[in-house]
Amino acid sequence: MGVRFAFTGGREGWIRVLLTAVGVGLGVALLLVTTAIPSALAVRHDRDEARLDYTYGPKRPKAANTLLISDSDTTYHGDDVRGRLVEPEGPKAPLAPGLSKYPAPGEMVVSPALKKLLDSGDGRLLRERLPYRIAGTIGESGLVGSQELAYYAGAKNLSPRIDGYRTARISEFGHLDGTTSSNSMDPVLILLVLVVFAVLLTPVAVFIAAAVRFGGERRDRRLAALRLVGSDTRMTRRIAAGEALAGSLVGLVFGTVFFLLGRQLAGSVEIVGVSVFPSYLNPAPALAALVAVAVPAAAVLVTLFALRGVVIEPLGVVRTAKPRRRRLWWRLLLPAGGLALLAPMIGQGRGHGDFNPYLVIGGVLLLLIGVTTLLPWIVEAVVAQLGRGGIAWQLAVRRLQLSSGTAARMVNGIAVAVAGAIAMQMLFAGIQGEYTKNTGRDTTRAQMQVSLPQGVDFLPTAAKFSATKGVRKATALGSIDLGDRDWRRGPNTTIPMTVGTCDALREEARMTSCHDGDVFVAKGGDNDADVAKLARSGRTLHINTTNGIGPGKDAPWTVPGHLQQATAITSPIGMRTSGVLLTPAAVPERVNRLLTGVVYLSVDKSVPDAQEHIRNTAARIDPLADAVLWSATERSKQFDSIRTGTFAGAICVLALIGASLLVSQLEQLRERRKLLSSLVAFGTRRRTLSLSVLWQTAIPIALGLLLATAVGLTLGAVLLKMVGVSLGVDWSSVLSMTAAGAAVVLTVTALSLPPLIRMMRPEGLRTE
Amino acid sequence: MTAPAGSLLCAENLRKAYGPTLALDGAAFSIHPGEVVAVMGPSGSGKSTLLHCLAGIVPPDSGSITYDGRELAGMNDAERSALRRSEFGFVFQFGQLVPELTCVENVALPLRLNGTSRKQAEKAALGWMERLEVDDLKGKRPGEVSGGQGQRVAVARSLVTGPRVVFADEPTGALDSLNGERVMELLTDAARSANAAVVLVTHEARVAAYSDREIVVRDGKSRDMERAL
Repeated sequence: MGVRFAFTGGREGWIRVLLTAVGVGLGVALLLVTTAIPSALAVRHDRDEARLDYTYGPKRPKAANTLLISDSDTTYHGDDVRGRLVEPEGPKAPLAPGLSKYPAPGEMVVSPALKKLLDSGDGRLLRERLPYRIAGTIGESGLVGSQELAYYAGAKNLSPRIDGYRTARISEFGHLDGTTSSNSMDPVLILLVLVVFAVLLTPVAVFIAAAVRFGGERRDRRLAALRLVGSDTRMTRRIAAGEALAGSLVGLVFGTVFFLLGRQLAGSVEIVGVSVFPSYLNPAPALAALVAVAVPAAAVLVTLFALRGVVIEPLGVVRTAKPRRRRLWWRLLLPAGGLALLAPMIGQGRGHGDFNPYLVIGGVLLLLIGVTTLLPWIVEAVVAQLGRGGIAWQLAVRRLQLSSGTAARMVNGIAVAVAGAIAMQMLFAGIQGEYTKNTGRDTTRAQMQVSLPQGVDFLPTAAKFSATKGVRKATALGSIDLGDRDWRRGPNTTIPMTVGTCDALREEARMTSCHDGDVFVAKGGDNDADVAKLARSGRTLHINTTNGIGPGKDAPWTVPGHLQQATAITSPIGMRTSGVLLTPAAVPERVNRLLTGVVYLSVDKSVPDAQEHIRNTAARIDPLADAVLWSATERSKQFDSIRTGTFAGAICVLALIGASLLVSQLEQLRERRKLLSSLVAFGTRRRTLSLSVLWQTAIPIALGLLLATAVGLTLGAVLLKMVGVSLGVDWSSVLSMTAAGAAVVLTVTALSLPPLIRMMRPEGLRTE
Repeated sequence: MTAPAGSLLCAENLRKAYGPTLALDGAAFSIHPGEVVAVMGPSGSGKSTLLHCLAGIVPPDSGSITYDGRELAGMNDAERSALRRSEFGFVFQFGQLVPELTCVENVALPLRLNGTSRKQAEKAALGWMERLEVDDLKGKRPGEVSGGQGQRVAVARSLVTGPRVVFADEPTGALDSLNGERVMELLTDAARSANAAVVLVTHEARVAAYSDREIVVRDGKSRDMERAL
C-alpha cells in the first residue's frame, strides 16, 4: 500500500517521489562511479603497460622485426602530449597498440583529442610544432584516456640517434620480460587514498539518508488520515516504509540512468589531467550489488528511525511525541570508537610498516559519522539556550527549537564533508614537505631549459632562441664528462667540460677576462681535488662516449696549455661545479659533435604563449629537443594527483550536498506555503520572513561548521600522528574549507529566496 | 454606485480573474465603523477573493477600493502591508498560527511587527487572550491546543493591534457548532466593543446571523440583502 501511495498521491505525490528519486539517484550514481574507479584505473594501467617502449633495453641489431622509436613528448598549454617518432626497420616491426600501420615519414597518426585540438584555433601553435600530415587516428586500445593527447610520427634515419635514453631499437611493446609491474604505493599515500574515499563517501551516505525523508511532514499527515480509517501504528509504519522503499527503488533506477549518462559524458571530460573511455567505467559487480541492496535497506531503516519520535493519531492530528531529550552518551560512543580504532596505528609512520586499511576506514568513518550523531544534540542544546531577539530571529529560533533534528539533518552532510576536508588539508599540509623537494634551480635567472640531443650544434641555437617571442635571454652551454682513461675500461676520476661563449660561461664561473679561444680551469666547486689532478696542461683525457647502450670508441683530448683560472659560481640549475671551461674557438670539431647542449632561457611571462613559442623553436631545431619549464620546487606526482583528486571530489560532494540542501529547503517552504501567505496577509514584511529563513539555516550551519572544525582538527591530528609528522594546523586551509561550507549554505539560501518570495504571494491563501 | 456616506471601507465595480476563471465581476461592498457585515455565497462564488481584494492582499484587475478616503490602488505593496499591520486584523479558517511560537507570542506578533517591544506586546496580547478566555494557553504551542482554542487565539491576534477592520474568512469553518458559536460571540462582541468593523466571509447562515448586514456574492457579483426579521 505504501508503494501505491508513493505513486498515487497526484501531482504532489509524484513531485515528492521525483525529489526523493533524484536525490537518491544522485547519491547512487556517485556510489556507482566510486565502485567503477578501481576498474577504470586498472584498465588505464594495463593500457599504459601495453604500450611501454623501454628505450634502455639491450642493444639489438637491425632486423625485420625491429622498430626505431624516439620519445618526442611535449607539453602544450600545460597538457602533456605523448609523442613518438617511429621508423619500422622491417615488415615485422612491432605495431604499437591502437595503430593499424605506421605513418610514413612526414605523416602522423594522432589521438582523437589531439586531432580535435589541432583542428581548432586553440591548437595553432601546436600545429606549428607538429608539422606532419595527419594520416589517421590512434585507436582506443593505444590510449589511456579519451582526452589523451598523443601522436606517432613517421621518421627516417633515427638509427644514428640511438642513445638508449630517448631513441632506441625495440622488437616489442610492453614489459620486456612479459610481466606487468605492480604499481605499489607508499603506505602514507595509501592511507591518503583510504581516507579520501571514506571522507568523500560518508557525506554521500548522509545525503541519501536525507533524500529519503523529503516530504516527511506531508506524509505524516497522510498517515494520520490512514489511522482515522482504522490502520494501527504498526501498519502506518509499514506503509511509510513502503513509500520510502518505492522512492529509493525509483532512485536506484534514476541513479543507474545518471551513471550511464555520466559514463558517456566521462568520455568527453578530463578531471585533474585524467580522462577515461566510457568502457573503462564498469562498476565491480559485487560492489554494485551492495549499492543496490544497501540503498533501499537504508531508506527503510532511516524512515522507521525517523518515525520513532512521531505519534501519529487519527483525526488528522499528527503530534510530535514529547521529544525525548537527546542523550549524549551514545552519541559520543561513535567518535570515541573511531579514535579507539585509529589509536593503535599512531606512530606507525613511513618505514614502520603498513596501515591496517580496515582500522583506518572504520576509524575515519566512525569519527565522521560521529558528526552526524553529535550535531543534533549540539543544535538542540544550543538553540534551547538562545535568547530572544527580533521577530526574524525569534521565528527562526523557535522553529529550530521545535524541530532541531530537521535542521541538523540538513547540515549534516556539509559538516561531514567539511570535517573530512579539514582533516585531509591538515594531513596534506603536514606531509607535503616529504613529497616536495627543492629543485635548487634559480628561477630568477632562467625559467625554462631546453635540452638538446647529443650532436646538435648548440651554439647557434642561442641566437634562434633569442629571436623567439617572449625570450629575454638565452644561454647555450655544451657539456661532457672527461675521464682519466678510456671509457670502455671505465675511468677512475672524471671532471666535467663545459663549452660556451664568454657570456654563457659567466653563468657557471667568475673570470677576470675572457676571449674566444680561452680555456679555463674553474675551482671552488664540489670536485676541486679531481680537477687539480686532471686539468693539467698537456695531459690527455678521455671524452665520455657512453650512452644508454654502452660506451663508444675512445675519444682522447689533450688539455691545452695557457690554462686560465676561474672561480665556480652557482649555475642556474643550482650547482657549483669545478671543471674545464672552453670557449668555442678552443673546441675541436670532433669534440663539438660529442657535446650535449642545454639552453637556459629567461622568459618574459607577459608575452602570451611565450612557453609555446619556445617549444616550437626547440622542435624546429630538433624534434627530440626537450623543453622544460622550471619551478623552484617539485612534488611527487602521486601526491599531487591524490591532492587534486581530493579537491575535485570535495567540490563534487559539496555541490551534491548543496543541491540536496536546496531541494529540502524548497520542500520545507512548500510545506509552509499557506502559513507564509497568511503572515504576509497581516502585514509581515517579506524581509522579516527572508531573514528568518536565513537565520534558520545559518544557526545550524554555524554550529555544524564549529563541530566540523573540531572533529576535522582532531581527525587531522590523529592522522598526522599516525604518519609520525609533527602537529601543525594550516589555519588558512581550515578557514577556506569552513568558508566553502558556509558559501554553499549562503548560495542555497540565496537560491531559495525567489521561491520563498513567490510562496509569500497572497495566492497561497486560496483554497479553491 | 457612489460610496455610502460615512463608510469606512468601500469597493465599487471590482473585477478579478484568475486565468480564465472570473472570480469577481463588478462586485461592490461597503462597511461602516463598528459594523459587522457577512459576505455569503456558495463555494467558489468569489467571497474570499472579495475579502482579499478589500484587505489589499490581492489587487483587483479593475474597480476601486477606498479605505478611510484613501484609494488602495494608489498604494504600493509596502504601504498596503503597513495598512494591514496597523489598521486591519485577520482571522482565517484554520487559524494559521505560527506553530513554532507560543499562543501569547502568536497574539503579540502583529504588535511586534509594528515595532512594539516584546514585553509590551505580550502584555497587550495577554489582555486580549483573557477577553477571549484563552489566557491559560499562553505558554502552549498551537499544536498543543484544540481547534476552537486555536481559533480564539487567532481572534485575539486579529484584535490586538486595535484594528479598524477585522477580516474573518470562514472563521468557524473548521469548528464544531458549539465552538463555532462561542468563537463568533467572542469575535463580534470584542469587535463591537472596540468599534472595529468586521468583514465576515461565510457560507453558513448560522454564522451570518451574528452580522448586522449581509451581502451575497454569486458568480462574482454582489448583492446587498435585507435582513429578514
